[in-house]
Amino acid sequence: MNRQTTSNKPSALSYSLRDIAFIALTGVFCGAIFFGTSLSYNFLAAGMAAIGLGPFANDVLLGLWMIAGPLAAMLTQKIGASTIGELLGSFVEMILGGQWGAATLISGLIQGVGNGLGFAMTGYKRFDKLGLLLSTITGTLVTFGWSMINEGYGKYNFGFILLLLLVRFISIGFFAGVLVYWINKLVEKSGILNRD
Amino acid sequence: MDKLVINDLTFRYKNSGPDIIKDLDFTLQLGTFNVLYGPSGCGKSTLMKIIAGLYPEFSGHVTSGKMYIDSEDVDDWNTQDFSKHVAFLFQNPNDQFSMTTVKREFIFTLENLGLPIEQIEETIDRSLERVGILNFKDRKLDTLSGGELQKVSLAITLAMNSDLIMLDEPFACIDIKSRKQLLELLKDLQENDHKTILITDHDLMGYQGIVDDLYHFDDGQVQPVLKPAEVFATYQKENRQLLFDKPGDTVESIIDLHELNLQNGAKSLINSASVDVFKGKMILLTGENGTGKSTLFSALTRLHDYRGSIKYLKKDILKYNQRKYARYVGLIFQDSQMQYLKLTVEDEIKLSLKHTNYPDFWTDDVVEDYLKQLNLAHLKDHVVYQLSGGQKKKLQIFEMLILGDPVLLMDEPLAGLDLHSTKTVMKLIKTVASEQELTVLMISHQLGGLQDFFDYHLQLKNQCLTYTEVLNYESIS
Amino acid sequence: MNPSLKLGLVLIISFELAFMQSVIANLVVAALGLLYLLFKHVSIKKILWMFLVSIIPVFGTWFSFYAHGSGDAMHSAWLLSTRVYAYIFLGGILSYTGTVDELLGSLEQNCRLPSKFVYGTLGAFNFAPRVVVTVKQMKTAAMMRGEALHVWSPEIFFKSILISLRWSDNLSQAMVSHGFNETATRTHYDTYAIPWWNWLVAGVCLVGLQFLAFSGLF
Repeated sequence: MNRQTTSNKPSALSYSLRDIAFIALTGVFCGAIFFGTSLSYNFLAAGMAAIGLGPFANDVLLGLWMIAGPLAAMLTQKIGASTIGELLGSFVEMILGGQWGAATLISGLIQGVGNGLGFAMTGYKRFDKLGLLLSTITGTLVTFGWSMINEGYGKYNFGFILLLLLVRFISIGFFAGVLVYWINKLVEKSGILNRD
Repeated sequence: MDKLVINDLTFRYKNSGPDIIKDLDFTLQLGTFNVLYGPSGCGKSTLMKIIAGLYPEFSGHVTSGKMYIDSEDVDDWNTQDFSKHVAFLFQNPNDQFSMTTVKREFIFTLENLGLPIEQIEETIDRSLERVGILNFKDRKLDTLSGGELQKVSLAITLAMNSDLIMLDEPFACIDIKSRKQLLELLKDLQENDHKTILITDHDLMGYQGIVDDLYHFDDGQVQPVLKPAEVFATYQKENRQLLFDKPGDTVESIIDLHELNLQNGAKSLINSASVDVFKGKMILLTGENGTGKSTLFSALTRLHDYRGSIKYLKKDILKYNQRKYARYVGLIFQDSQMQYLKLTVEDEIKLSLKHTNYPDFWTDDVVEDYLKQLNLAHLKDHVVYQLSGGQKKKLQIFEMLILGDPVLLMDEPLAGLDLHSTKTVMKLIKTVASEQELTVLMISHQLGGLQDFFDYHLQLKNQCLTYTEVLNYESIS
Repeated sequence: MNPSLKLGLVLIISFELAFMQSVIANLVVAALGLLYLLFKHVSIKKILWMFLVSIIPVFGTWFSFYAHGSGDAMHSAWLLSTRVYAYIFLGGILSYTGTVDELLGSLEQNCRLPSKFVYGTLGAFNFAPRVVVTVKQMKTAAMMRGEALHVWSPEIFFKSILISLRWSDNLSQAMVSHGFNETATRTHYDTYAIPWWNWLVAGVCLVGLQFLAFSGLF
């Protein structure tokens, strides 16, 4: 009875029930971890708003909302994982009562696609530093493009736009890049994903 | 007729790993009550998961063997075919469910099997009725006790019409009364509904007179026990006693509970308890499964809400700075991995040494010496997550002892340790505790060999906490 | 209204809103969203909370455009701060007028979302209360060892992954042992239909939205 099993022979496209539950659960965890942050977000936002720098609060913390996607991609190494991870993450956020509601879902989709593009550029072969670096770059550009339209960033003066872009890249670069890289390194060294 | 036939089965988790099951042959007769016993962690659960079709689907590799259920070759069965024939109750009943209410779980299950919707309601009622828990229908699953969850699981297997019911260590999380009820229910299902029952257990208490066939699991193989009476005889329980002092008037308290009320959901666990925990003493905390011992520990570490007051050194614990308080009252979690922060054994120990309250005591030599006693010295560069259950536990206890927090709560620290390790660990705890004047409060189900280690015994019974001098328990002679 | 259709409608409106340059359109959408919430008897407390949490971002947005905007800065300031309200009330419709069970069930039946996505996600959601407790435990356990875990500590995510692995394994085995198979045809105890008037309402909303979008209002 050497039955062939789907879960032991992963392909980059097929998701098993367990994969989906795993991605969704990590999304729920990420949500729960930075829900403790929403309070600090409001403080930060209030402080920055007072000096006319409201959007910076958003950009400084944006990377936090974008951990789930690249993490899912790195851990499962599947096509579309970052979009699914990010979308599920934002869905969780919306249901758990995130203040941005439907906009969260759209942002989640855009963030996921943005991050995913980086991995796509490597042909879904480089789930490593290069993949992550590209993913943070595409993630920054795509989400910033959306902010230009949606949050009206295009209507700021040029210097301000450049500064916002820089802050956003640092945030995404750290949280969705460096931090995810560290986490992934821990996972690899611990051997907990080893299911041969 | 045979319900289940397994020939020559070999299974391993990892391709490069050892065989957990080796050339195993196993047959179950239709409509019989069977018990498979063997030590914890020997592979009984693995075998059950193979029979249930969960392995190798979810883990591991079957490298040889044939299996027939109801005389059908299972080679081309999918997981649903298995679930229609075989019901499997997990060791931890909380792991059995994926929905939030009893009714939702039933609906999910019956939808999966494609039952026409007009039959669903009737099937749920009939199954719950059969097990005598119709009133649970709209209950939320997280408000049910371990024993109640087991009954719901059984009702679901009836709804699914699976004829082979397997239970993996079903009594690990439930009290003695529920255990008796559950055994009676299973016997009833066998005799009147012609179910075939297979239970794994490491302990044979209460099975004599119920079981048709007894099997022993050892070294990856199953052997039928030809003279079960002899085996049962060796598992006869003997009444034993542990004796403790009663706290005198002169002892100083470190934690004071005043009119403490604890609840889990809607269920009241502790009702208006006022007791003190005494400084520098080792105290054993006992009580039946599900009475709320772990919840009490959660309350003491500010992880669970409570009413009434808890004071540490005469000051309300909620008034302490959170980080500081965490270093006054430490908790050894049931799940060892919860405690770890680093990857290797060595780094874990270094971290504890960095924060220890007694840097002079924990010299390199002392640490090395204890590591040897605990049989961990050769594992320093190993990844903690790859250690065996017993090794994880020993490391966890050791690193918490190094820290030397004034109060150390231990939630089942001896679970999964063999007799030798238990002794070493207890001696270590006792020595360190007296050297550093630590207060230890320990929950333990395992009571053998604990005489002389504890000063006092705190009992949680009928929602009350009291110091008692005599602890009666049953043990294998 | 059918949950899938509602989701689709809210998403389309939110998306189009991002491209619209009309303060009045924002206010109309926000007001209609608010009316719908009231019509659905969402508690006043929740509605007040939605107003409250948005004060800071709304003010922040307004003030930063006022300070750093180019061109018609005043229009930008009003446009983007009112847009926040439109989003918040649209979001409230999804968060407060339906359950996850309903939405996922409807997506399974009306949008043919594969059942493994539906139940994998639903199962994970059902773990949400345990996740919150576990995160608290992880932080406390670390403090007991003298360390603090922050949102930038890889350890807290690593431990989350460790637990997610175990739980997703348990969860999928629990579902499979209760008969779940992604290839099997399931029946549906709760059925979600899309009645004709749902389409009508959606159509009216979308036509109205186009009117707002292209009428050149302030």
